Amino acid sequence: VQPPEKPLQAEEWNKLREDFQSPEIFEEVMLNSMIRCNSPIDVAKSLLTHLAKRNGDIAYNVLVKYLTLCVQQGQVSEIRDVYDVMKVRFKILESGAYNLMIKGLSNSDQWRMALTLLEEVKKIMIPSRTCYESCIKAASRHQEMKLAFELYHEMLAKDVIPTLDVLQSFFDFSRGMKDAELQKELFGILLYLRENQIYPYETFMRSIKLWFESIPGGNWRGYLTNIKDSGQCPVCNHQLEDSNLTEEEYSNLSERIIRDVIHGTDTFRKTSPQEFEAFQTFVENRLPFDIVIDGLNVSHIKTRRMQCENLFDAVNYLAKENARLLVLGRKHMLINSSNWKRKIMKEMQNKADFFFAENISEDDAFLLYATLRSGKHCKFVTRDFLRDHKACLPDSLTRHLFRKWQRGHQILFSPSTEGRTFPLFFSQQPAFRYDCVVQTTGDTWHIPYKDVFEEKCSYQVPRKWLCIQRK
Amino acid sequence: VQSANMLLRKIVRSSVLPFAAQHGMKKDLFPLSRTLSLSLCLKQDKSCEPSEKLDLDEWKKVMKSGLEEEVSEMVSQPKELSSLAAARETLEMWRLAGKAVPENISEEQLKTFMECPSKSAKKKYLKYLHLTELRKKNDKRKMDEKRERRLKAQDQASKTDETKKSPFVCMWSSTMDKAYNWRAAQSMIFGQPLVFDMSYEKEMSVREVTNTVRQLVLSESCNRRSVDPFHIHFCNFKDDSLYHREFIKQYREAWGKLLITVTEQCYTEIFPKDKLIYLTADSPKVMKTFDHDKIYIVGSMVDKSIKTGVSLARAKRLGLETAALPLEKYLLWSSGAKNLTLDQMMHILLTLKDTADWKKALEFVPKRKYCGFVNKPVKELRRTLDLINTLKLGKGREEVQKQFAKSYPKK
Repeated sequence: VQPPEKPLQAEEWNKLREDFQSPEIFEEVMLNSMIRCNSPIDVAKSLLTHLAKRNGDIAYNVLVKYLTLCVQQGQVSEIRDVYDVMKVRFKILESGAYNLMIKGLSNSDQWRMALTLLEEVKKIMIPSRTCYESCIKAASRHQEMKLAFELYHEMLAKDVIPTLDVLQSFFDFSRGMKDAELQKELFGILLYLRENQIYPYETFMRSIKLWFESIPGGNWRGYLTNIKDSGQCPVCNHQLEDSNLTEEEYSNLSERIIRDVIHGTDTFRKTSPQEFEAFQTFVENRLPFDIVIDGLNVSHIKTRRMQCENLFDAVNYLAKENARLLVLGRKHMLINSSNWKRKIMKEMQNKADFFFAENISEDDAFLLYATLRSGKHCKFVTRDFLRDHKACLPDSLTRHLFRKWQRGHQILFSPSTEGRTFPLFFSQQPAFRYDCVVQTTGDTWHIPYKDVFEEKCSYQVPRKWLCIQRK
Repeated sequence: VQSANMLLRKIVRSSVLPFAAQHGMKKDLFPLSRTLSLSLCLKQDKSCEPSEKLDLDEWKKVMKSGLEEEVSEMVSQPKELSSLAAARETLEMWRLAGKAVPENISEEQLKTFMECPSKSAKKKYLKYLHLTELRKKNDKRKMDEKRERRLKAQDQASKTDETKKSPFVCMWSSTMDKAYNWRAAQSMIFGQPLVFDMSYEKEMSVREVTNTVRQLVLSESCNRRSVDPFHIHFCNFKDDSLYHREFIKQYREAWGKLLITVTEQCYTEIFPKDKLIYLTADSPKVMKTFDHDKIYIVGSMVDKSIKTGVSLARAKRLGLETAALPLEKYLLWSSGAKNLTLDQMMHILLTLKDTADWKKALEFVPKRKYCGFVNKPVKELRRTLDLINTLKLGKGREEVQKQFAKSYPKK
């Protein structure tokens, strides 16, 4: 339906309603299309008046739709009136109406009213993140940074996760302010990014840069750069943090993987206790390995070749460097077949240790175990992103650790066009030697950021960095 | 008193009022309603001056004035609501806002709702209640309609009173029941055992257990009706388990009279190990024929999340043989998980037992999950299927055509 351009009289509304195919929902449909067409508020008012006169009441959802229209057009006094009406009519309101009112009021000179409303919401439920965002933005827009940060901390305490947009607004509105307390808070946000392995997108990164450069007397300068593979920043020559896990993190992670990924709720789901024990003794007797290879995965690299040839190439390539290799396979590989020639298998077994699991066991679990037991230097080869294993880990902290360890230790082969297999390290050339998180030394900050349009997968990390240093 | 008031207010506001107003009913028909009398006045006012100028803010006045007395009433109520009442209030508001929320909710359901760990869990639970409520209402409406029709038909029949001649007294259903029970009783002595492993309660949510029991009830009934029923065993069955409570809810008194074996023992304690075959979709072995000497085990589990390999792990632990249905061999699979519901398994196994015809048996796999029966080598069909799917989705058409040209080169 096309909403009318001018307010209508009751009879005219009645006529429209009767012409409409399902009159029961006429008001809703009409208001929806008013919202879509951004119709003048007076038209909606005339509809409400007509409704009120006919029924002596207006349904809640109709009021909310009207409220949406008011918020869309920034009609502050109307929002307040709707609020008064609703307060009289209903004991409590639901979150949709509150979201709208807070959003509408926070954008006006009556933004403090939005704060009052937020207090009201808190009495009955945990405010939504849009509520907090509107209020935080309103407060920081009016330079009430202290208040904004109070709300921010409150939000975090309630496990309401802020959007990057809000975090960015903190930097935007704090520009040029000289306030030690404020600086500390903003550094806190950067550390929040670090702890949660969040990468700001490009415009956010610019806000950070501009804020740093605007600190009076701070003498901060920011540069955009790409970090070298060695982990050195080309701008300030600073060496970035090592990607290795600390002893504690490492043992924590291995423990978790053995407990949650390999055993999980039932050891029989991925292997069997006998098999796992046999594997454990096998590994312990031959430790440590330098590279652990997922044999089946590697054998599928090129579809046109025999599987054992693919594996043979990979083993040969890696064995060159005098490394101790462990290849994990399944028992069916030992049976002479068109894909697995016994002769080639024999030859390979001279160059590397092999462990053959039952055909129905999951060799990935063994891969993780053998690599972790071999120690920090050990790397592993598979094209699998190990997403399902990451998912077995119960908390996000361990999952972050897992990703970090994976970035530093996974080697990825990919087929090349020339008929030979070149090694290609996982996701980016050599496995990362540096840790890709926001980091600081006090006098420098290094912040990885992503281009807005490319969505990164959790195993990928951005390559672009913002280097900030004090002159 | 409060709820009565609320109810009255609701009635007055929603349905009766426009009707009453339009038809000019006398206001003393509703002596208790304030809103009604007020808006009646409004209506009369308006009719006196048909061409007044539009007052755009009039709705606010109506909304406020009509409710002033009610407000004072509300203020006098205790302000602090109990958490249950507050939740009820919130739900009411969500319903008014047009969300999927049930109209009536019991105390117990409300508690379950409040215990939901997250917002989305709450929403899901409410939607579930809402849909169940809708379904129940629909069923009731249909029942009523049916009853009416039947009464009408009876009326007509009694008018044309004519005695039918039939050698049998009309007692179909109870006779059938007796016949079925006779067969089931025989199966308990001579029938091939079929085991349902009831040890999965810990892996399931309450709703999954409920669904499992529903499927088991369906399985049992279709087994009872078959020509040559299985002797059903519920093994690893614990009294007072969630399964048990659900069964009692479903069967009521009939639970004690079912012609099946329910035991706390494990199947390995009852049957020789080498005769047992655990049926699980995760099994690497594919079932070739139905063996009348073996005892098949079906895991009584509904898995709404992803718990691959749970039943395979059970079989591995006990060192049992496993098997999966040869779905890939006979059906061109299109989408959906390979695990079937328990009643589908029952239908398939019964058909296999009676006919040994895989095609007939696999008719019971839901049609949405496969495209058809395989009559050509699967690889070839798969390629055609991929082509059809991509063409249907309409993306990457050129690429598909290129691939098609590659796989079917012109000679």
